[in-house]
Amino acid sequence: MSQKHERSIFADVEEYESDEEFSAWRRNLRLWRSTLSEQWRLLTDDSLVVAAMAILGGFILLAFVAPVVAPHDPLERMYTESGLIAKWIEPSFLGGEGDFLLGTTAQGYDIFSQLVYGARPALLVGFVAAVMTVGIGTMVGLTAGYYGGYVDDFLMRLVDFVYGLPLLPTVIVLVTVLGAGLDSIILAFVLLQWRTSARVIRALVLSLRERAFVKAARVSGASNWRILSRHIAPNVLPMAFLYGAFAIAWAILTEAGVSFLGLGDPNSVSWGVMLQGARVYSAMTEGTWWWFVPPGVCIALVVISGFLIGRGYEEIVNPELQVEQ
Amino acid sequence: MAMLEVEDLKVYYDTAEGAVKAVDGVSFEIEEGENLGIVGESGCGKSTLAKALIGILPQNGYIAGGEIRFRGEDLTEAPERRRRELRWDEISMIAQSAMNALDPVYTIRQQILEAIEAHHNWSRTKSQERIDEMFDLVGLDRERQTDYPHQFSGGMRQRAMIAMSLVLEPSLILADEPTTALDVIMQDQILKRINEIQEASSASMMVITHDVAVVAETCDRVVVMYAGEIAEEGPAAAIFDEPYHPYTLGLKSAFPNIREADQDLVSIGGHPPDLHDPPTGCRFAERCPMATEVCSREDPPEVEVGGLRSYCHHVDDIDTQLRPVADRAETWQNTDAADDRGLADD
Amino acid sequence: MGKLNFFVRRTAQLVVTLWAVATALFMLFRLMPGDPTSYIVSPQMTPEVRQRIIESYGLNDPLWVQYLRYIENLATLDLGRSFNTNSEVSEILATYLPNTLVLMLSAFVLAYAVGVTLGVLTGWYRGSRFEKSTVVTALVGRSIPSFWVGILVIWVFGATFGVIPLSGMTSIGTEPEGFVDMVTSLDFLHHLVAPMLVLAFYYMGYPLLIMRNSMLETLSEDFIDICRAKGLSERAIMFRHAARNAMLPVLTAAAIAVGFAIGGSVLIETVFGWPGIGREMIRAVMRRDYPVAQGTFLVLALSVVLMNFVADLLYGVLDPRVTYE
Ligand SMILES: Nc1ncnc2c1ncn2[C@@H]1O[C@H](COP(=O)(O)OP(=O)(O)OP(=O)(O)O)[C@@H](O)[C@H]1O
Ligand SMILES: [Mg+2]
Repeated sequence: MSQKHERSIFADVEEYESDEEFSAWRRNLRLWRSTLSEQWRLLTDDSLVVAAMAILGGFILLAFVAPVVAPHDPLERMYTESGLIAKWIEPSFLGGEGDFLLGTTAQGYDIFSQLVYGARPALLVGFVAAVMTVGIGTMVGLTAGYYGGYVDDFLMRLVDFVYGLPLLPTVIVLVTVLGAGLDSIILAFVLLQWRTSARVIRALVLSLRERAFVKAARVSGASNWRILSRHIAPNVLPMAFLYGAFAIAWAILTEAGVSFLGLGDPNSVSWGVMLQGARVYSAMTEGTWWWFVPPGVCIALVVISGFLIGRGYEEIVNPELQVEQ
Repeated sequence: MAMLEVEDLKVYYDTAEGAVKAVDGVSFEIEEGENLGIVGESGCGKSTLAKALIGILPQNGYIAGGEIRFRGEDLTEAPERRRRELRWDEISMIAQSAMNALDPVYTIRQQILEAIEAHHNWSRTKSQERIDEMFDLVGLDRERQTDYPHQFSGGMRQRAMIAMSLVLEPSLILADEPTTALDVIMQDQILKRINEIQEASSASMMVITHDVAVVAETCDRVVVMYAGEIAEEGPAAAIFDEPYHPYTLGLKSAFPNIREADQDLVSIGGHPPDLHDPPTGCRFAERCPMATEVCSREDPPEVEVGGLRSYCHHVDDIDTQLRPVADRAETWQNTDAADDRGLADD
Repeated sequence: MGKLNFFVRRTAQLVVTLWAVATALFMLFRLMPGDPTSYIVSPQMTPEVRQRIIESYGLNDPLWVQYLRYIENLATLDLGRSFNTNSEVSEILATYLPNTLVLMLSAFVLAYAVGVTLGVLTGWYRGSRFEKSTVVTALVGRSIPSFWVGILVIWVFGATFGVIPLSGMTSIGTEPEGFVDMVTSLDFLHHLVAPMLVLAFYYMGYPLLIMRNSMLETLSEDFIDICRAKGLSERAIMFRHAARNAMLPVLTAAAIAVGFAIGGSVLIETVFGWPGIGREMIRAVMRRDYPVAQGTFLVLALSVVLMNFVADLLYGVLDPRVTYE
């Protein structure tokens, strides 16, 4: 199985230095392309991963076209024909008055529109937080693993310290201090979660550093920057991507949790905020499931997609976990 | 009737790319008290053969055909319960890498005791006496039974492994590369010990190795395997003094010979065929200096020659054509698939 | 000697981490832009009252004096008084902590018992339908927001069928005498079941997946082959050898899992109105009851750090190879 990767970025870019027909960077490009397309093929072999990608793609699309899909402004109060605020309206398919696909909330907002717009903060938090956590984690892991010594000691003690902080409570405290809003949630999440990828990538770099091709490059006098960027970074990237996929899932769950606790921005729309509203107005005892079931389903779908893609990729990067057949 | 009769045994592994025919139609026998050596390059199916005999193939491995008769009883047909009874009690093994063959979280004594308790209802004192006896036999200090494997050196672990494999006085011991993980001096000691034990008990042994010297030193008879099949088989002396299969000749030249001091070490060019889809005819043809067109067309015949059982189309020409040049490196490089990788660096 | 040495070093590390967490918390609240006193004084107060409060909390002193006093107070377990109820923070903690512990520990034990067993089985029966469906279920369990599952449970079993209480830890009107009396009452167990199961379902996925991966790794080791060759029964190999060895990484993971677990229990306590320390923290944060928020947070962080410590020590007991070098 491993022979397949023979011509891949994971072997070593330098090995192909003798192919004179291409300039170094066109060769790199070709290697990257063939490796990525190979991984893409393996990834899309798994039907669960394909389903996850489709779901995630669907939500991304939804986030972009939200204004077209949503019949109303998510934060605009609806009124009945008689001029009253349209509270607790049942979904239209259950015979509720008006034309509200999923009914309205206790405050008179259109649930379906809120649901559609809710895709935006979720994906925004997910992707921005994932890129930032993994970016920071990778930099720290690379630095600590490559330079070792005091730098490594210091950074790893820092990681140990951050591991001493419970995720959600810390995010809650940070968000209260920084003020409610998506940006503080993202910032708080990033401040904590870089620890995971930093630790894993450091371990990976430590093992890469001992590999023959890195040693050879060092003996031949390559600069640190060259070794890091040409030899180590390409090998670290798949792991970074893997943790990125998981970070998307965790970030979305964290945002939902924080908003659900009432620490999100009350004037924004998100699935977590919707669930908070439902709880505050005791929608459970009212039995108005159309208010609190759909947002939960949406969160779960996006998060599951993130985990499934991450896991599918993990099985490619880490073939020991591969299920036979 | 021989103690163990293997007849046309086929062992395959299921993989995503199709079946790997790791052992493909192998027949041989082991007599009571006999020492049989199995040699061949890495990947030719030696461990697979041993695992099939004792019945511990991995999940994706299965016996695709043939029979394994132990004292007349076909093990491939026997129910799992019966096979479990036979394991260790009748057929035990010494694993390929003793370094990892012991469970790190139990003491040596616990692990040996576990083997006893799985098969017998001996009293505590009897079990303990037996373990003490085994420790003495392999030359380990009795006091160290309660050590954990990591507290043992590699050589000590291998001895402990041997003690464990002998504790139930099995009739057949499968030793899968019993010495590869050890340094040369330790290898020698362990081999000597195995020989002594072998002579003292009436157990038969199947020694697997790719180190020709080990076989020459410990075995009565030798089976040479290539790519899942038997290439040649016969008494150890004949195999190493005057083999008839080109592969055995190559193999022999690839290892240092104590008797010929300044001999060039050669390596056979090319590599073994892919076992997913082995070539028709003789599997060695691709790398064989003697190969002609018939070799890759027809399966080689079984030929009795010089006391050996040899599978080769050109047995008659070996003496004149190959034997005189077998220890020259060029002989083995000018094959179709010549390649700078070969046997010696495996 | 080695053991003692390790213990002492590890304890020192524990103290340093706790100090770092406490310091970070101090800085977070005092060094933020804006008036730090705004957290504890309300605008309605007369200037004299305001001044008195500020003085009584020593907020006029230089920062380093405040910091030293803060550390000294922590060291003597003096966490101050609640701005809201004026009761000692340590008393508040003593009231709520046991409730959290009962809920969390029971859920944790259940989750680990079930999760680890399923992990062993899925690892053993790798490639089977059972394995695939269990792994997907575990992933789903980790992806669905726990608080949303809580909402669904309350809706279905509480509001619709009425078989579980909607909220709280004891029924109104029952006046248990003391903690032990309460915990052993049927009424308490009735309240405990739903949050405990929801929490356990959420916790379960992590040990399950880790145990499975660890099992896969262990099962490929040579000693498993030898165990089979020894004629041991499948059960003996699966549990006595494979699971026993595979347990080790799960233990380390358990420590990290407590970090996540605390986040989960904060949410679950809020959903089920469970009077625990997590819910108390949220309430304090919302009310800007700074000493209580700080105290509860420190206890949550302490439990994470402490669990890391315990797991390290336990690892030494379970793995004879650990040498304390
Ligand atoms: N679990 C497995 N799944 C698929 N193929 C396997 C499996 N185990 C072994 N093989 C393949 O079967 C062939 C024979 O392997 P085996 O371990 O028996 O070789 P060997 O002769 O013992 O080699 P070595 O001297 O290196 O131990 C090899 O080609 C190997 O790749
Ligand atoms: Mg082998």
